[in-house]
Amino acid sequence: MYGGGYLFEKTNTSELENEDQELLAIFEARIARGEKIEPNDWMPALYRKQLIRMIEQHAHSEIIGALPEGSWITRAPGFKRKLGLMAKVQDEVGHGQLLYSAAETLGKTREAMIDDLLSGRSKYSNIFNYPVYTWADSCFISWLVDAGAIVNQVANSKGSYGPYCRALERICIEESFHLKFGHHAVTYLATGTSEQQKMMQEALNRWWPPMLQFFGPPDKESVHTEILMRWKVKMLSNDDTRQQWLDMYVPKIWELGLTIPDEKLKKNEDTGKWEYTEPDWEEFIRVINGNGPCNEERLNVRKTAEKRGKWVRKAILGTAEYKEYVAPLA
Amino acid sequence: MIEMIDPRLTRLDLQTGEVPAKTKLDQLPTYEAFVQAKEPRPFKHEGGIHATSINMALIFAKEQYTRRGSCSGIWIISTKDIIVTDITDNSLDIYDRFDEIQDCDGDEYTIFHMTKRGSQHSFAGTVKASSPENALSCAKGNIERKKPVLNIWLVKTANIHKTTEEDKVLWTTTPEKLFREAIDYKTSDKLKQFKEAQRK
Amino acid sequence: MNVQAIKDLLFKIADDQLILGHRSSEWIGLGPLLEEDIAFASKAQDKVGQSLAFYRLLETLGEPEPDITAFSRKSVEFHNSTFVELPNGEFDFSIIRLFLFDTAEHIRFEALAQSSYQPLNNLANKLKGESIYHIMHANEWIKQLGNADDTVERMQRELDYALPYALGVFEPSKFEEELISDNIFSGEKALQVLWQEKIGSILKDTQLVLPSFDGLVPEYGGRYGKHTEHLQPLLSEMGEVIQSDPNADW
Repeated sequence: MYGGGYLFEKTNTSELENEDQELLAIFEARIARGEKIEPNDWMPALYRKQLIRMIEQHAHSEIIGALPEGSWITRAPGFKRKLGLMAKVQDEVGHGQLLYSAAETLGKTREAMIDDLLSGRSKYSNIFNYPVYTWADSCFISWLVDAGAIVNQVANSKGSYGPYCRALERICIEESFHLKFGHHAVTYLATGTSEQQKMMQEALNRWWPPMLQFFGPPDKESVHTEILMRWKVKMLSNDDTRQQWLDMYVPKIWELGLTIPDEKLKKNEDTGKWEYTEPDWEEFIRVINGNGPCNEERLNVRKTAEKRGKWVRKAILGTAEYKEYVAPLA
Repeated sequence: MIEMIDPRLTRLDLQTGEVPAKTKLDQLPTYEAFVQAKEPRPFKHEGGIHATSINMALIFAKEQYTRRGSCSGIWIISTKDIIVTDITDNSLDIYDRFDEIQDCDGDEYTIFHMTKRGSQHSFAGTVKASSPENALSCAKGNIERKKPVLNIWLVKTANIHKTTEEDKVLWTTTPEKLFREAIDYKTSDKLKQFKEAQRK
Repeated sequence: MNVQAIKDLLFKIADDQLILGHRSSEWIGLGPLLEEDIAFASKAQDKVGQSLAFYRLLETLGEPEPDITAFSRKSVEFHNSTFVELPNGEFDFSIIRLFLFDTAEHIRFEALAQSSYQPLNNLANKLKGESIYHIMHANEWIKQLGNADDTVERMQRELDYALPYALGVFEPSKFEEELISDNIFSGEKALQVLWQEKIGSILKDTQLVLPSFDGLVPEYGGRYGKHTEHLQPLLSEMGEVIQSDPNADW
């Protein structure tokens, strides 16, 4: 799951001037026709670079995203929740694997991507930098954060790069289970005992602001994304995805008797757009740059996993079939 | 940073500080996984796996690509053993670039076709040939194709690790794992109950 | 049919699978290799799922429903072997444990697939495929890590540590005689013999040395409520949310 499309860095289109203009025209025509670009096609260096960054950060979000809910697996209440949550978190790790593979077809090794994650050069979805205090927080993520990711994933699965689209199609299918699992868990809390309702409402209150930020800063403040949208690397604007999510899920949240901590939140019947209190975008930037409540912990967990696993990888590589790196095909 | 609240982590000794950067030798070998959902459908490419042996690649592929739905077999091929042709534009058949040969003999090659950009490669047939180039020419003459083929993958059949008839037992209980499926999480009754209680 | 004898058998299997499945789930997201994380997570789900199937069988014999049976007993009421409650340690111990336990699990399910108690017979037959995958996975890891020069020492150390606990899996039941004479189960002794042979055959293809079983003292007690200090914290964590209100619908 991911708040996709937000690259956290500028796109320098002047790099395109050095490309073969004829090949560039063929490439852009193919995309405009709606055909997929496959790994052995010619592509401009900027496309390759931006796609790697985008897919890689999506993969990192899945791996890091496995940690907040993963922390509740051992405490999940009952068999249904225990098995369901294990399966869901397993899927997140699986999605990471699919996405790293897709990015690898563009020429970067998985280990180099993981290096970038651990060093902070590469980012992941901001929402995972917040603490998951209760079981209800975990359920919020399972339902509504996944719902946000699905809006992005469905849109981007119609993008231009074949391997990324194929990975996203698989991911979307599995996400339908995540969404149902999450909604089921939240429903039981919201319609349960007064303690359960209170726990769920408090979790919702905590997660609402970061959730709105999940889709990235408002379009008018985002870095230049025209070329990414022309190349079908980014399929929907941040505001569009946010609006889609609000439209689909605010009514469902209200249906459960939960209140949303924003008095301004309402749908403008004339424009069809949701109005809401603008979240604190300066906090977003602070958190993305490493100053959120859990950034350090999340990365330390990954660093620890890397260190603990190093002897294992070294040992099996010693007896490996061959040693040179080969990129996956598709 | 706030205090850690994940009980799994408080048991670990969380390391802080730098992790040494990866070297070239940290990369694991790569394998491609092909899955047959149900007989007699063709084996279809699912994706890549990093592992250090073909057995390990199979073990991994089984969970990464077939933990849901039905499966009757998996093929694992070391990526470096797969020969890849160029890719054409839609409606152009890559076979136009090769001469046709009818009379073929030699090692058996397995051929996979991609007939649409965005789709996975799938099993098209086998031919016997004395070289990969000849295999393409043999395939042109011997493997039926209904649509233009945009891209071909070929591999010596001997390089494919295939699951057996006995291995099918691995997937016996897969369809029963409903906790992995959306269908197991219906909320309509609970919601109905809740709304009725609210009306009272 | 001696219901107590059958329950004794079912409880120990259910509790073993639950506790080891729970321990395995602690690795999810933290594994040494992405693909291994995914495979490990499936094994964890399989075990927890298997425990659920066995608790459901127990329910047909008069025990409470699975959520209550699994999530509200105290450690003294659990019948798992102490082997499965030990902390995960590093990947070396965890994979050695899975190798030793899964080999036993497979042999046990094969034996139970011949059981005269039909519900158990049916269940064991169904679960055979899962245990085949489990040993495929464990054997491959043991083969690779047990043949890598740098890691043989640590793997040997964990194997030596694990073996007395692994023998605890075969702790004789109070009802051994009846279970065997009623053809419900071939008995722990028979399982242990097959298991010793099987792990020996896998280990001989590695640099690891299987010590003589004569010198080992099995860690018994788990089957009848004598556990290490590790079990109760595990159970308290497992039940933390559900016990906050056992009457609520979660």
